[in-house]
Parts: sequence; structure tokens; C-alpha cells
Amino acid sequence: MSTLLEVSGVCVTFDGFRAINNLSIQIAEPELRAVIGPNGAGKTTFMDIVTGKTRPDEGRVTWGEKNISLLGMSESAIAREGIGRKFQKPTVFEEQTVRENLAMALRNKRGPLDVLLYRGTRQEAARITELAREIGLADHLPRRAGDLSHGQKQWLEIGMLLAQDPRLLLVDEPAAGMTPAEREHTTDILRRAAETRAVVVIEHDMEFVRRLGCKVTVLHEGAVLAEGSLDHVTQNRQVIDVYLGR
Amino acid sequence: MGNPDITPRQSFLARTPSVLWFLGLLGLFTLGVTVLAEGFGMALLSTSMVKILGMTLCLCLIAVAMDVVWGYCGILSLGHFAFFGLGGYAIGMWLMYARTEGIVIESLANAPIPPTQEEITNAIATQIFGVVGSNELPALWTFADSLAMQLLFVVLVPGLLALVFGWLAFRSRVTGVYLSILTQAMTLALSLYLFQNDTGLRGNNGLSGLQNIPGLLHLPQSTIALWFFWASAAALGAGYLFFAWLVSGKFGSVIRGIRDNEARVRFLGYHVESYKLVVFTLTAVISGLAGALYYPQAGIINPAEIAPIASIYLAVWVAIGGRGRLYGAVIGAALVSLASSWFTGGGAPDVNLGFYTINWTDWWLVLLGLGFVAVTLFFPRGIGGLFDLLVRKP
Repeated sequence: MSTLLEVSGVCVTFDGFRAINNLSIQIAEPELRAVIGPNGAGKTTFMDIVTGKTRPDEGRVTWGEKNISLLGMSESAIAREGIGRKFQKPTVFEEQTVRENLAMALRNKRGPLDVLLYRGTRQEAARITELAREIGLADHLPRRAGDLSHGQKQWLEIGMLLAQDPRLLLVDEPAAGMTPAEREHTTDILRRAAETRAVVVIEHDMEFVRRLGCKVTVLHEGAVLAEGSLDHVTQNRQVIDVYLGR
Repeated sequence: MGNPDITPRQSFLARTPSVLWFLGLLGLFTLGVTVLAEGFGMALLSTSMVKILGMTLCLCLIAVAMDVVWGYCGILSLGHFAFFGLGGYAIGMWLMYARTEGIVIESLANAPIPPTQEEITNAIATQIFGVVGSNELPALWTFADSLAMQLLFVVLVPGLLALVFGWLAFRSRVTGVYLSILTQAMTLALSLYLFQNDTGLRGNNGLSGLQNIPGLLHLPQSTIALWFFWASAAALGAGYLFFAWLVSGKFGSVIRGIRDNEARVRFLGYHVESYKLVVFTLTAVISGLAGALYYPQAGIINPAEIAPIASIYLAVWVAIGGRGRLYGAVIGAALVSLASSWFTGGGAPDVNLGFYTINWTDWWLVLLGLGFVAVTLFFPRGIGGLFDLLVRKP
């Protein structure tokens, strides 16, 4: 296991409010990591920083073996480096079919000219079918994504993430609004993905985190409060005070 | 292409049958007009009618371009008529120069001393620019004697303007209504600039006599009108085919994604700004070509043509026809622009209500506005959306 992503000493201020306060997190490859914390703890802002949506005021964000800095790179360039992100609200392209959604995400050249002259290969088509099977949407490839159920949209988005073949997956509340059976399937997908890559899951639901069975980082007021196994952090006095006790 | 279950990559024409339908109908329409036209067949269509139809086809072409940039890529440009006008000006310069040159040489032919090249050039300049009180050929007209150069400008000038404007706007992430306002400002600024007499394009007089094609002066207008009609039909067909191909594959998928959720496309690793710039510039170039075919049929171009309202009309056509489908743009542009010339050209009879007479020249805009509101409220997919009712959903 080597360090893939290192966030160190990062601070972000929004209109005088310190959303992130000297945050330091290391993610290894492969690894499954859950990030929990009360509302406003800075979980989503952490993802915004890593994906280039928000620029920190201070600190470093380095990536890969060569420790290149992600700060100053555009969102699309960071995505091409191999960081995929799933948003809190399922954001798939509703007007397009499941197949089109997956094809767009499939790891490939991203330049306008490459895309314009793109002809799908047989391997890519097979890969799309395989992905669809993995996320349980094999029978839904020609369907409009907007017609899928909420849970299916969440999976489609996870499928799009996998299609990007990223080294790091950032997943924001994947189980929100899912039925228990759907949650179980989601856990399986994430655990399987984490066998070969780094997966960071933001989640509110403790039961879901327990089922992931991984290292947990607790954020509070924009900094790491505790880190370790779920049992370890839930016994931490401070964690109980700020989060679980309420 | 192998097993359809595994590879759904048929040729794009097979995937989009509406393209073949469109091309077929366009071909039939062209044939019909040709047979009925004064210049060729039964003379049931006057030359001015053939010209109106040819111009309408050019408007359909720019509407298709507008649909790609707005309906597919989600950029509500309210400045594409500026590119149309620039294309018209570029070709108009050659038409006017070459025609004036012919007249000047003819009139000086009987002079006792053969005129020098300089005298000819000065005479041309006086002829063209006397109306704005100048007798010098502006630097802008350096290449006006060369058809090839001016044709190049038809493509280059709108293309470069769109490239620079788009680059500045998109990299600053100007989107939505702010971008629309910027594009309005662009076309307004260009139009106001051209209204000035000293810009080298004859101010509010514009360029005129464009229907007289140098080298073809021996041909009657009825024949020339038909040629331009054919050229317009060919351009619309080719442009339609090109854009249909552009939006059919993965590129279309990406730009529709940009329209629906720009940030998401960015996080998939696509450089959204480049895509917008490509679409904006390509559609600007096609708009310039459409303009270059339109104005020789109209005969005159002046800065009022690229007033902000023209680009707004363009958006209205596409909205009424149904954006996000290319044939919708064609239907909207053809229907509304033909209706407009019928109502404002005195074709529609006045309605006498006893206490008030509805004069369509004045009331047409009200009708258009009501039509626009009605379509927006009751057919958000436009007239083209009605085709969805015909095609059974799987």
C-alpha cells in the first residue's frame, strides 16, 4: 500500500467562515475509507478541494507516485489524472440512454476532435455491457436515464465512475434514499471497487459504514477529529460529544 | 457491424432516419420549385418568389446552426446573425467591387487616352464611396477584387470573431443569461460600428446591387435566382447532414451533457470550454456561409440586418420549430420567416372589425409574440415536437 492522495494543512474560508481548518488526510491505494461527520463538518468541501472545484487558501494536495500538486489544475484535468467523483444528488444525464451515459464516462481520449471522430470498438461495447451487469442495469442499457428509479440512477452514476477507471473514487452519500436491498448491493459494488483502487465514501448512515467495514475518518469543524476502525472512533469521547451524542 | 446486441454502432444515417427524410423532402422541394420557376419551367413561380424561397433556405441553414449551439449545446447565443451579416458583407464587397469595376472600365473605354490602373481604381472608389463622401478605397477593400480571397473571408471573419469572443467568454465561465447578453452586446456593437460612415463599408447605405453577379450579367435574373436557389438548397442539405453527423455520435452526447449539466461533464474529464468553443465557432462559420448565399439574393445588405433583434428572431424561430432537433429548426425558420414576409408584405388581407381595422403590417409582431407564448406554454417541444406523437415510443 502506497500513499495515493495526500492532503496536508489545508484551510478554506468562505466569507470569513472557516469551512476547512488545517485538514490533513492520507489515502492509500488500494483502500476503502469512510468519511463521517456532522453537517457542516467539511466533508463535501474536502471533495470539492480534491476535485478542483474549490481552491484552498493554504495547504498542499499531492497526488500519485510523483507527488504532483493538484492545486491549480482544472477540474477536467484532475478527472483525467484519475479522480472520479459521485455527487450527493444523483447526477446522470437524464435525457440520454444508460448506454450513452456509460459511453461518455468510459476512459478514453477527451479532446473534441478525438471525440468527434470516435468510433466505438467491440471491446468498449463489451466493457459497457460488463459494467451494466456489475451495477445491475444490464437490461436497461437502451433506456433513458431519466426513467430509472432513484436507486438505479445512483448505481448508474457509480457505473459511470467505474467506467472512468479512476485510481481514486470519491463517493458522496451513495446510499441516500435507497431501500435496504439496494444499500446492500451498493456496499458490494464499493467493496469490490476498493479491491483495486482507492475509494473514499462520505456517509451519514452508521449502519452503512459498519457494513463497509473499513477505516473511518471523523471530520469536525473542518479538521480530522479521529481516525481508525469504526469501533475505535465510536468509543472516542470527543466523537461521542460532537456527533454521536446528539 | 457485427452483433447488434454488442455493437450498436450502425452508420449514423441508419440511426437517424430523419436525416434521409429531410434530404429527400428538400430534394423534392428543390425539384418542385425548379419546375415551376420562371427561369426554367412553367413560370408559375415569379423570380422574386424563387428568391424569397432561396433566402428562406439560407435562413433555415442558420437556424440549424442556432439549434446546434443552443438546442444541443445549451449556449443561448443571441448574436449569430452578426456572423450571418459578416458573411454577407464579405461576399458583398467582391460583388460590388467587381461589378463597379466592369462599369468603370466600360465608361472609360472610349476615353481618348487609355486609363491607368490607378485611374480605374480611383474611379471605382469614387463610385462606391461617393455616397459617404470619400473617394479612396479603404484598406479593408484591399482584396475586394479577388473572389477567392473574399470567399475565404466569408469563412475566416465570422470564424475568427467567434473564436476570440468565445474564448474570452467561455474561459471566464460566462454562462446562461449573461452570455446571451454578451452576444447581444457583440452584435449591437458591430451593427453600431457599421452604421458609421467612415468604417469603409458605406455606413447605413450598406452594400447594394448584390443581385448583379459580375461575369453573369448577360444572364436574366430569373436564371441567376434559380442558380442561387439551388446553391442554397445544396448548402442547407450539406449543412444539415454535417450537423446531424456532428450531434449524432459521442460528440453530440458530450455537448448535450454540457447543456444539461456542465459541471458533471467537467468531472468526467472533458474540457467543457473547448467543446463550447468548437461548437460556437463551427456554427458561426456555417452562419457566415448562409449569409454569403442570402445577400446576393436579397440584393442589399446594411447594418440594420445585424441589429440585435435579428438574432432574437433566430432564437424565436428555433424555439417555435422545436429546439434539440434539427428539422424543428428548419420548420420554425421556414414557417415564421415566410409567414412574416406574407403578413408584412401586404399578402394578408386587412381585417375590418367595424370599429377598428387590423392591419397585418403592424399587427404581425403581436401575432408572432402570441404564437411564441402559445408554443412555449402548450408545445414546449415546438412544432417539431408534434412528430413525437406520430412515432410510437418503444
